[in-house]
Amino acid sequence: MSAIKAVLALASAPIAIGIALWAGFDVEKNDAELPLIHRAEGFVGEQTCRRCHPDQYETWARTFHSTMTQRVDPATVVGRFDGAPVEFYAKFAKPYRDGDRFFMDLPEGDTGRRVAEVALAVGSRRYQQYFERVERDSGSVLRRLPILWHIDAQRWMHLNDVFLHADNPEWNAHAAIWNQNCIFCHNTGPRPGYLNQERKNEIVADPDRSFDSHVASLGIACESCHGPAKEHVDIYRSVAARYFDHFASSNDTHVVNPARLDHERSTGVCGQCHGQRIPNPVENHYRWRVTGPTYRSGNRLTDHVTPVRIDTKLPGGTGDEFALRFWADGTPRLTAYEYQGITTSPCYEKGTMSCLSCHVMHGGDVRGQIEPEMRGNRACLQCHEDIGTDVQAHTKHGPQSTGSQCMDCHMPRMVFGVVEIHRSHKIEIPNPARDAERGRPNACTLCHLDKSSLWAADKMREFWGDAYVRPKSRPDKAPLELPDSVASILSGDPVQRVTYAKACGAEGSALAPEDAALVRVALHATLLDAYPSIRWTAQKSLLALEARLSTGIEPALLDWRHDGPKGTRESVAKRFLAEFQQRSTSALRAPLPTTLLSPDLAPDLRAIIALLDLQSGRAIHIGE
Amino acid sequence: MTDMALRKTVVFGWYLLAISLPAGLTLEALHALKVQVYLGSDMRRELWTLAHAHGNILGILCLVYAVVADRYLRDEQNIAAISRWLRVGSALMPLGFFLGGVLNFEGDPSLGVLLVPIGGLCLLVALVRAALAAR
Repeated sequence: MSAIKAVLALASAPIAIGIALWAGFDVEKNDAELPLIHRAEGFVGEQTCRRCHPDQYETWARTFHSTMTQRVDPATVVGRFDGAPVEFYAKFAKPYRDGDRFFMDLPEGDTGRRVAEVALAVGSRRYQQYFERVERDSGSVLRRLPILWHIDAQRWMHLNDVFLHADNPEWNAHAAIWNQNCIFCHNTGPRPGYLNQERKNEIVADPDRSFDSHVASLGIACESCHGPAKEHVDIYRSVAARYFDHFASSNDTHVVNPARLDHERSTGVCGQCHGQRIPNPVENHYRWRVTGPTYRSGNRLTDHVTPVRIDTKLPGGTGDEFALRFWADGTPRLTAYEYQGITTSPCYEKGTMSCLSCHVMHGGDVRGQIEPEMRGNRACLQCHEDIGTDVQAHTKHGPQSTGSQCMDCHMPRMVFGVVEIHRSHKIEIPNPARDAERGRPNACTLCHLDKSSLWAADKMREFWGDAYVRPKSRPDKAPLELPDSVASILSGDPVQRVTYAKACGAEGSALAPEDAALVRVALHATLLDAYPSIRWTAQKSLLALEARLSTGIEPALLDWRHDGPKGTRESVAKRFLAEFQQRSTSALRAPLPTTLLSPDLAPDLRAIIALLDLQSGRAIHIGE
Repeated sequence: MTDMALRKTVVFGWYLLAISLPAGLTLEALHALKVQVYLGSDMRRELWTLAHAHGNILGILCLVYAVVADRYLRDEQNIAAISRWLRVGSALMPLGFFLGGVLNFEGDPSLGVLLVPIGGLCLLVALVRAALAAR
């Protein structure tokens, strides 16, 4: 009897553990059974990876990749759902919360209202967008709601006002469908599950479409970069296999490590999302919208997709479908074209540079996925060591000047996305004539904001020789003698305008605060721009300039709403311009030569309007 | 013989505590100093915490055993043998946990962790024999 008791005592703990494991919560199983999740095509999900790679899991979980797409609950929703009305274009929404559920009371048609329940949240860094679930005859769609929460600004914004679009009072103009758009690049292993295949010849969006969509993981998880891991997991469940391969230093782990790929394939891993593309061949579009893209990490990206370039033509198209997404010389000017930038850079074409030359996925600053030192010259000096020995000899700028920062000249900020201006990922040498003649920003004048492209060309020739010539004209026909920034803000196309408007407020520019009179006048005029995102950028830059040298306009500027009612907004902006001289004479110097401003800082409104009239009549509408 | 065996166990218990308690302070210091080599590896943190905890508990167990063995266990030879199993097991378990966290790779401990089941077996033998000897 005693022996039996002893055995029972010894066995009780293992038995209890066994029962608890059998009956207890299984996080992997639970994940696999959640709505929207699939485990097809060898995907296993990040919780399975976590078992053996807890450290890599943790370093991924802190990134914005991991929270790119999230289910809606109080822990994931960052917007203010407090029931307060939010007004845009003379209509209002009321985001509110009921327990753990989130809703928006929205305008419907001219006078009606409707309530939408938030079912999915996309984005977690700059802004968070919300989607409602709409049931259809078979299947459903997740449709984007018209307002989003801007995280830095801590305010609601209308979708129209964060894209590069002119004012548009149509509230539902941007009601994109997650299942046929966002699903591809904001999730892992997307399978859109298009249910109307009998209409397979339609390329144009159809409001009657419905889907049974699934993804391996919401957000960008392990298998986006490392490939589907089922085979890897099946093999390495065995302790013996793990230890054997560890001590044998085996590289054949049946999963992809992008750091061990050649630079072309490694860059393709990021390029599958950070490079807008169409299927290759384009007919694969039909397959994509059912079972998703065919590319898997480690493949050659161009075997599966055609990266979109300035002259990419869709079947039956005109050939300029994508032209507006690039500067006239083919350099990308929107985010999500970083792949196109890097793959047309000499560092990639003639060298072995890949995204991982500068970026890290499991470390560094999650804002940019980059180690802090790679934000500076260290990134370039990895290869260009000789320049590092005497930076000034190469840059012709003081060693502490922003002009001695490699990226400020070779990767200038001239790419629009998420209401910000980002660095170009096409690494190149600035050329004022090329840039002015093709209507694109120039690295020199993005910093020397009071200088013209003629000045920049002369400086380049002085520094680097006769290969650098003066530009002959600008596409918008604005005078070349004007500061490039002012000409571009007033006469450029929307991407030029927003790029230079942003540059005017940037830290570290070569513009002395007291010499910013002309730039300020141009920014004031931009408060009347037709594009709300450009107005907001101009407002923020004016506030930045005001913070450096006050003319007393800050309180009024803070009160001004770039997305407020048109009448009030424009009358106040015009008043700002009218009061400029009175406010500025004691603080700002007149530019030399005096263009657009009299020596006593009176704006020449006639000349400003003449420059504004040079803006292209061609509307540019650029979403994400 | 009994006295000698129990004295060895007492000395061993104190030494084990003398090592394991400062180990805890060291782990705290690694937290305070944010030492990445320690904090950056979940596996290492878990194994070294286990080494610290097991060292302390088993050190105390050795001391308790030395106090109660003479009073409740029969048979001198048994007491001496149990003492040996207990000392060996108490040494191997924390040592195995510690070594498992040295040169470990991400998802698995290093081979030093093999000392843990061996130590556990020794402790199990000591426990069963002690239970039988106390009847």
